[in-house]
Amino acid sequence: MAPPEEAGGGEFPVGMKVLVVDDDPTCLAVLKQMLVQCRYDATTCSQSTRALSMLRENRRGFDVIISDVHMPDMDGFRLLELVGLEMDLPVIMMSADSRTDIVMKGIKHGACDYLIKPVRMEELKNIWQHVVRKKFSGNKEHEHSGSLDDTDRNRPANNDNEYASSINDGADDSWKSQKKKRDKEEDDSELESGDPSNSSKKPRVVWSVELHQQFVNAVNHLGIDTVPKKILELMNVPGLTRENVASHLQKFRLYLKRIAQHHAGITNPYCTPASSAQVASLGGLDFQALAASGQIPPQALAALQDELLGRTTTSMVLPGRDQSSLRLAAVKGNKPQGEREIAFGQPIFKCQNNSYGAFPQSSPTVGRLPSFSAWPNNKLGMADSTSTLGNVNNSQNSNIVLHELQQQPDTMLSGTLHALDVKPSGIAMPSQSLNTFPASEGLSPNQSGFLTTIPPSMKPEPALPNSQQSNNLLGGIDLINQASTSQPFSNSHGGNLPGLMNHNSNVMPSQGISNFQTGNIPYLVNNSSIGVGSKPPGVLKTESTDSLNQSFGYICGSSPMDSGLLSSQPRNAQFGFLQSPNDVTGGWSLQNVDNYRNTIGPSHPVSSSSSFQSSNVALGKLPDQGRGKNLGFVGKGTCIPNRFAVDEVESPTNSLSHSIGSSGDIPDIFGFSGQM
Amino acid sequence: MDYSNLRRQAASMKRGLFDQGYLDEQFRQVEDLQDEASPNFVEEVVVLFFKDSAKLMSNLEQALEKYPRDFNRWDAYMQQLKGSCSSIGASRMKIECLSFRDNCGQGNVEGCMGSLQKLKREHALLRQKLESYFQLLRQAGPAGAATRPVM
Repeated sequence: MAPPEEAGGGEFPVGMKVLVVDDDPTCLAVLKQMLVQCRYDATTCSQSTRALSMLRENRRGFDVIISDVHMPDMDGFRLLELVGLEMDLPVIMMSADSRTDIVMKGIKHGACDYLIKPVRMEELKNIWQHVVRKKFSGNKEHEHSGSLDDTDRNRPANNDNEYASSINDGADDSWKSQKKKRDKEEDDSELESGDPSNSSKKPRVVWSVELHQQFVNAVNHLGIDTVPKKILELMNVPGLTRENVASHLQKFRLYLKRIAQHHAGITNPYCTPASSAQVASLGGLDFQALAASGQIPPQALAALQDELLGRTTTSMVLPGRDQSSLRLAAVKGNKPQGEREIAFGQPIFKCQNNSYGAFPQSSPTVGRLPSFSAWPNNKLGMADSTSTLGNVNNSQNSNIVLHELQQQPDTMLSGTLHALDVKPSGIAMPSQSLNTFPASEGLSPNQSGFLTTIPPSMKPEPALPNSQQSNNLLGGIDLINQASTSQPFSNSHGGNLPGLMNHNSNVMPSQGISNFQTGNIPYLVNNSSIGVGSKPPGVLKTESTDSLNQSFGYICGSSPMDSGLLSSQPRNAQFGFLQSPNDVTGGWSLQNVDNYRNTIGPSHPVSSSSSFQSSNVALGKLPDQGRGKNLGFVGKGTCIPNRFAVDEVESPTNSLSHSIGSSGDIPDIFGFSGQM
Repeated sequence: MDYSNLRRQAASMKRGLFDQGYLDEQFRQVEDLQDEASPNFVEEVVVLFFKDSAKLMSNLEQALEKYPRDFNRWDAYMQQLKGSCSSIGASRMKIECLSFRDNCGQGNVEGCMGSLQKLKREHALLRQKLESYFQLLRQAGPAGAATRPVM
């Protein structure tokens, strides 16, 4: 069907392709009939897995997805994250459960909307708005990411809006200035070079496994803090635009963040208290404290890493599934089939398989991100077997991705994720990819790679400030999300990241938020506070910022914050992927690298922590405020409250900013500066 | 045959179902979905509902036995059932679903058992009533006549 933009205004809703996923046949029958009466083109499916494969086979075959929350084969939140990550399609959640926390979770995971059963015809009539909104925000995102400086400077109001809510004043200002600085430093090539006008529909980029893998490799090589332009150059994929990469990067960062978040113990609401406790005590580290301090102790990172790898290092474990899911993710990664799933989370799990050995190699030793260091050796990145890299499915890839993420910015992130199929729409699925990551289930390594890729819209900006260290791990591996699928916030922290990817489980409804604010998620700090919105620098801000918001929830946001951390670099915000090389985290890019991989001072404590956060944030998909997808993958449950939180846009206090609370001097990558 | 009379009867029966709380507004929404392209939509959905819900209840009963005190599991089953009931407008059944979930929340096994029994009763009752209703509708006239029952 003609894309919304192309279709006449009055024609648009007609024929819109809707995919309904619900295991309740009665509801499915009623919904389908309603959709048919709305003159939509409705397809029903009673299984998430089947729906996912249908979507993967035909990415452009659907315009919007309506999914039930409770389903036997795959948690609706996880599906949400995956879809957001991979396909960047608007997903509407639905349930007979009207509990606010569940609804919040859905939003955090990046749901465009949440319908309470029984669904009425009037509600269905309006769902087309989500499609249009997303497309527009996607365009805007590209435009925005393309010309960050311009946008940034020229649209201060916009920025303010986006970031303000999430960051407290201090942080906000610093962040914004950082962002602006970053923008300035941003390559002018970052400007939309030939980016079609926002209004015009960009061909959707489908991030196939291979493409994602390339992306991951590039990111690994350049570091998570890199800029889309460089990634684009490195990838050297004809027809791929910087915007595509930017939004994908954004998503990826969010994903990572989310992963980190998960590891940080962001437990989904469904997590048992015990697990939550465990999570909190990741590796014996008090993430809360971490978040507060803005640093992620090496042990935490290591623990996180191990966690990701599926090792039980510390109690940090995603409640319930994560172990298994992680492994599942890992296993999945190995699947040769080009499942696109970017196993953001997978890489982590995959460690075992991962040829790169990025993670696995790293000895589970606690206290360090072994894998990361090992990573460079592995050369996962570029030089490494393209096949491995390219194997999205391979766990390796995913591992690599993670590793790369974790490793210094130079590590190749690109390796892990297969490139996502480039969809003509040109909208790199920022959010979608993130979503995919969290889902452990299907996330194949490729998927994880995706995480690293975080939505392109993210723009190199350090979006994940928090993620500094652990983020990398997390970012790529939103295993946690997987485990929890819907819970972890994963996704999205609330939606996009940290809270994003829905998958997640974070107990806190506001996953993302909690991260940010409560500091539960150290990682989340990311930037969520910053602006969870999609805007890269503040990416988290995204809610509205289209691409950024998408799932990546937040990761992006971190960048601005990071600047402070990074000390010299204005941009730091990486999602947290960057880790200071010296930093404990080792692999993850948390390092104090400025946005684009420039390592900033050695192990800046803040940065480390930020990386986690950022990734978390990124992962969380922010609710689709109407612009693009919320990064919240979460995907997603985003931990970043800001980002994903629906209220993020408006309330300055979005968790992100508030959560951070920490000193304003620190860029607050993780969003620590916000109140915790 | 006095179709109009039969139709009136059908309409009256339906009103009664609404008045007694067996059905709620959602049922009207479902009815509105019936059109020329799907002339028997309502009945089809209703049949589907009863079949599916019977299965769900049976699963739940087994779960009550097999997983004693596993309230989360029970609740999950019931959540699904509740969704079904609400989709079709089976109001009294939905109320029993809610009561079951409350009992789960309180950890009240006896209460759960009791709620389930009541639910089964309501299920049987509603099924019987709706079957009569549709039968009457069928008698009342061809598909066209049954499309928009007078309410």
